[in-house]
Amino acid sequence: MSDFTISRRGVLAGSALLLASTALPGILRAQEAKKGGRLIVAADSEPRNLNPAIVASNGVFFVASKVVEPLAEASFEGKDGLDPRLATSWEGSSDGLTVTFKLRENVTWHDGKPFTSADVAFSALQIWKPLQNLGRVVFKDLEAVDTPDEHTAVFRFAKPTPFQLIRNALPALTSVVPKHIFEKGEIADNPANTALIGTGPFKFAEHKPGEYYRLERNDKYWGEGEPHLDEIVYRVLPDRAAAAGALEAEEIHLAAFSAVPLADLERISKVPGIEVISKGYEALTYQLVVEINHRRKELADVKVRQAIAHAIDKDFVVKTIFLGYAKAATGPVPQNDPQFYTKDVPTYAFDVAKANALLDEAGYKRGSDGTRFALKLLPAPYFNETKQFGDYLRQALAEIGINAELVNNDAAGHQKAVYTDHTFDLAVAPPVFRGDPAISTTILVQSGIPDGVPFSNQGGYANADLDALIAKASETLDPEARIALYRDFQKKVAEDLPLINVAEWGFITVARNTVKNVSNNPRWAVSNWADTVLET
Amino acid sequence: MSFFRRFSRSPEAVIGASILGVLVVMALFAPLLFPRDPLSIAGPALLRPFQDWSLPLGTDRLGRDVLAGLFHGARTSLAVGLASAATAIIIGTIVGTLAGFAGGLTDEALMRITDAFQTVPGFLLALAFVSVIGPSLFVVVLAIALGTWTGPARIARAEVLSIRERDYVASARVIGMHPLEIAFREVLPNALPPVLALSSVIVAAAILTEAALSFLGLGDPNRVTWGGMIAEGRTVLRSAPFLSIIPGIALVLTVLGVYLAGEGAVETTAVRRGRS
Amino acid sequence: MRRAFILLRRRLIGSIPVLLIVVIGTFLLLEAAPGDAVDAYIGTTGGDAGLIESLRQSWGLDQSAGTRLAAYLWSLAHLDLGYSVTFSRPIRDVIFERLPNTLLLMGSATALSFGLGSALGIVAGARPGSFRDRFLSIGSLALYAVPGFWLGLVLTVIFSVQLRWFPSSGIETIASGKTGFARTLDIAQHLALPVAALGVIYLALYLRIMRAGMAEVWRMDFVLAARAKGLSRRRIVLRHVARNALLPLVTMLGLQSAAMLGGSVVIESVFSVPGLGRLAQEAVSSRDTPLLLGIILVCAVMVIVINLVVDIFYAVLDPRVGASEEAA
Repeated sequence: MSDFTISRRGVLAGSALLLASTALPGILRAQEAKKGGRLIVAADSEPRNLNPAIVASNGVFFVASKVVEPLAEASFEGKDGLDPRLATSWEGSSDGLTVTFKLRENVTWHDGKPFTSADVAFSALQIWKPLQNLGRVVFKDLEAVDTPDEHTAVFRFAKPTPFQLIRNALPALTSVVPKHIFEKGEIADNPANTALIGTGPFKFAEHKPGEYYRLERNDKYWGEGEPHLDEIVYRVLPDRAAAAGALEAEEIHLAAFSAVPLADLERISKVPGIEVISKGYEALTYQLVVEINHRRKELADVKVRQAIAHAIDKDFVVKTIFLGYAKAATGPVPQNDPQFYTKDVPTYAFDVAKANALLDEAGYKRGSDGTRFALKLLPAPYFNETKQFGDYLRQALAEIGINAELVNNDAAGHQKAVYTDHTFDLAVAPPVFRGDPAISTTILVQSGIPDGVPFSNQGGYANADLDALIAKASETLDPEARIALYRDFQKKVAEDLPLINVAEWGFITVARNTVKNVSNNPRWAVSNWADTVLET
Repeated sequence: MSFFRRFSRSPEAVIGASILGVLVVMALFAPLLFPRDPLSIAGPALLRPFQDWSLPLGTDRLGRDVLAGLFHGARTSLAVGLASAATAIIIGTIVGTLAGFAGGLTDEALMRITDAFQTVPGFLLALAFVSVIGPSLFVVVLAIALGTWTGPARIARAEVLSIRERDYVASARVIGMHPLEIAFREVLPNALPPVLALSSVIVAAAILTEAALSFLGLGDPNRVTWGGMIAEGRTVLRSAPFLSIIPGIALVLTVLGVYLAGEGAVETTAVRRGRS
Repeated sequence: MRRAFILLRRRLIGSIPVLLIVVIGTFLLLEAAPGDAVDAYIGTTGGDAGLIESLRQSWGLDQSAGTRLAAYLWSLAHLDLGYSVTFSRPIRDVIFERLPNTLLLMGSATALSFGLGSALGIVAGARPGSFRDRFLSIGSLALYAVPGFWLGLVLTVIFSVQLRWFPSSGIETIASGKTGFARTLDIAQHLALPVAALGVIYLALYLRIMRAGMAEVWRMDFVLAARAKGLSRRRIVLRHVARNALLPLVTMLGLQSAAMLGGSVVIESVFSVPGLGRLAQEAVSSRDTPLLLGIILVCAVMVIVINLVVDIFYAVLDPRVGASEEAA
């Protein structure tokens, strides 16, 4: 603790003893042992459905991943970037029709019942495939799950499915929930969708809407000596400015997912006792993308799209909007992806003169007022940065004679305007790269997706070549061949610009330095925190 | 004694009027002094005030000129305030005059609608309205007016009720004027002054409401407003406090100016009326 | 008493059409909104077309607006506020869980602005035109001109981050297990800053009304008589002038209840107080029409009740008020 704070406290104690004794947060009171303690973290939303097997999204995982575990978790060191969780090994057949999982033994559910292969089979067939937002794509050809014994599950696919894809999907898509709880009644109405029951290191204790979630230590956790913490409390702080203040006032220990605004990081990093950590989001890379409505005749012209790409100063975006906590993007796969990324794609340097020349060439001369044409720009409301980039893009477009009108909608309005009604010309979106282009990246380009599907190609772009490439990659079993196809995909996308990839970023964790083992895997914020320690 | 001499006797009124005067000058000269789009990027980001004399008040998160924003923001704030007040007073007066003059079932229906609007918190209504329709200057003005027209409506109705039995209204009836014509040509002008006395309060409330909406992310993204500037600056409240303090002070001074000047004007007219 | 009862009955009957207008108006507003509850939900989680369709079906959003409004009014007639799809819970429970927090915040803020405002109003009005009067009047106006959220942010930085006197957010220490007096104290501590931010702003209103009322009463005969009798100035101020100026203040109390509710939306969001205002914001952004309807209805009923109480208070105090209603 800094001298400054101590002196503050000294003054306080002297002048207002009564106030001080009651006001100083009792929640952080000393814990003698290294083990135990209550970790308090900031949460910015309260998901309606907390079941990670149904809703595979980071907002849900942030809380639920401590209670419900996947078959495997992402890892910095493990083979293929994975660490075993509920599965101890996994193997795909050469024909791509089966995947065999060996499951962990002596694991019990929080209600005391044993965890078996029947739970995995039930989760896969009854939940991941039919109900899960991402699983509906990846597991679409899953036909059956055989359970030769209690600790073996064999996934059978109707069509060859690349084992590489299944493997990459393990951390996010395979949260296992108990069959004996969910087999009764409608799955959607099951109370265990909010009062979670899992195998994880923490048990769901209570949720007080608008205030907090509380998780308790699972004494019977399979991990030896784990978990270290007694409790995790998620304090709901919807206001963006609140997390930084609460951290400094020692009311919370940790704020993940950039709950502390980027612009405040430099200052808060100098506050003694507080650390700013940018590791731990490598497998949760968000991409800043300009979505384009190809139904607009100007934007259907590749020269205009190239001009827009040239008009964007990616360096400025990274330095000013992301304050350096991002990377300029080259194409639809982020650079930190170890398997698929290629830098061998056409690039668009920041060059206003060239952008202007391209637009002239395309036949859109400046009018007497200096503008070529006007369009509507819809930044997604989910992040501060997407909105700020919207502000920037409007200015960047003005430089090349395109008059963009910003339209701010809330989440529902944006979803409707962009993905259902297509009443946009340009939109700013933050899609997530989930370790494999087939999970959530190719649908940003592929044609024939029904209206209303969020984070998909709703710009009316149709390119038969790219569609064929995507289809071929989805059934190519050889990992090397598959990677080659996706490299070709990146090249073609960067060439034809169905959308413009501007930057890619991970989030920032700000924590008090008493929290240890932070960010020790590439999905840390949404992993199980079994080894997290709170020192005193 | 003339209105202005009487008005100028109250120091509060003079302070208020001077603030408003400065504001109007700022608003009028903004496009001349700062011809560039105030939202354009003018320099390095987060430049502190008084460092670079071409950007005297510094720059915001994206490098936009704070002084230019302040001047152009004066335009929007004034426009929002005046437009909302005008809309609220027009709607309110029409509803109030109709209700008071027509009486009976029309009166009953219109007053129940007024009641309905009055029981819903105005800000909640504005919030719902703007988030549903989408934020643009026009929608914001309309949303604020929706929450404030009931005051003018009630006062207008009360005034009309007291005026409609007077001699000149009766004589207008006798000469066969259409009731609507009587209502809007004979009664309304006489009912208007007490309604207009509310305008300063509505203008001030409108400016504050716009700021609060911007704070919740519901401002027009294509215009600079002081509320929007405060909201932008709030994420860096601790490291670059000037970004929210400068427009904040401008906002407080403006609202104060409107109150003071409005009060001065009302008092002055009230005294004059009392004497005549 | 009879007068008060007649007033009560008349008001209750009169408020039914008002509430009906509120409900239908709000419903139509949300109906006109781009995107529905499914759009709001799917926009945060993602999902494919089949999922979207089945959600819309199970949430009843595939039915026509008319059908849904009729169903809502029908259940409302049975005093049922319906079911919230965003919270997967009955709306009554969701609202009544948050209502006490908002009532506590509003009530304390009103008490603060009313109490402090009228006290300062007496001080200011005791010597109209004096320096003290001018200072208080302009000072309170300046506070009235401060945006509430801004005041809230500044208070947090000073009193919770720098001085650490008060917690920065929330309604009570989470999962503290405190009960009884300790819990009351804990809640009071959490509410201190939001109540200050909300209350101080409205202080000017009461101050000015009190002051204006006093200025008027000063000129009245009975005060002149009291002065002629040689009563001390302090005695005249408190006994005669202030007491008579109190009535319009009570009226203001009723009128301000709706504005206070509106102001608490922003304050609740700044201080993360789980109240009705924040709930309303969530309802709007998740397009949860029945929930927003429920909140607005509860607010409207609250405003009606507060005004009714004020009127009854008046009717009891001032015999002229009820008489006209009785005749009508």
